[in-house]
Amino acid sequence: MQEDSCSHNWDMINVLPGFIITEKCSHCSKISTYFSFEERPPLEEYREGDHFWNVVESAQSIRFDLLCSNCGTLVQFEELSGLLMCTGCDENCKVNKLMDELAKECTWVYVAFGFLPTGERVQLGKEKISILEEYFNQRRKSSSSKIKIVSNEMIDNIATCFAEVIKDVGMLSLTPLEDN
Amino acid sequence: MKLQDIIEKLSLKTLTNVEDKEVQGVFISDMLSDVMSVAQAGNLWLTVQTHKNIVSAANLIDVGAVIVTHNKKVPNDTIELANRFHVVILNSDLSTYDLTRKLLEIGME
Repeated sequence: MQEDSCSHNWDMINVLPGFIITEKCSHCSKISTYFSFEERPPLEEYREGDHFWNVVESAQSIRFDLLCSNCGTLVQFEELSGLLMCTGCDENCKVNKLMDELAKECTWVYVAFGFLPTGERVQLGKEKISILEEYFNQRRKSSSSKIKIVSNEMIDNIATCFAEVIKDVGMLSLTPLEDN
Repeated sequence: MKLQDIIEKLSLKTLTNVEDKEVQGVFISDMLSDVMSVAQAGNLWLTVQTHKNIVSAANLIDVGAVIVTHNKKVPNDTIELANRFHVVILNSDLSTYDLTRKLLEIGME
């Protein structure tokens, strides 16, 4: 995938808006996520084999590829569901420990999250995660801080993870103006 | 242009710790996915969004500062998270349109 001799200069291309749909089976409580280019997710429960899927969340997001302007290498990120910023919610979590360690160097930890269920979907490999990290650090080139991107496999328990996800859901602020 | 100069010239309210730095360009969007795909490091990001996850997007790109327009109240948890990750959040009474005009008047492009 990567030409080792090239010092890559990544550009984000093929940016496509869509929705990250999260569904839950009303029978077995299994959670499934997928990227949809359709305007609206299915609103009613539907059956797929033994599962009865209901939409629990629909979040606007993007899908994109990275292209190296030096060597033409194209890397697709169809396995990427989103990026989460570690906020240190669980002191025993490996991501949290890494964040504590790297915070001294002003390096912030993000988690590249794949689609669920993790065991049934192809997850982002180390090489792609490394390219993603390189790309965002290139965009931050003027900065004195960096980001570190790790795999969601580092999260011990996603059910108790309160990381901040970069996706557009529930974003409409209902807070009143200060004058009111 | 220095961030502190902009704060003073436009009477922006500082909601977080402010580290004076050079900022460049203005980015306007209320979509985090736009920030992730289009915003540039050092930009002033104008938005009406106040949810905590604006911090994760701003930090990813290392925007110069987030300016919440329309005098929207920013929740304390957003401010606390921003301070922790050295993200500057400012507040303006002006609409996004009016603030953009003022930014142009003081030479921000």
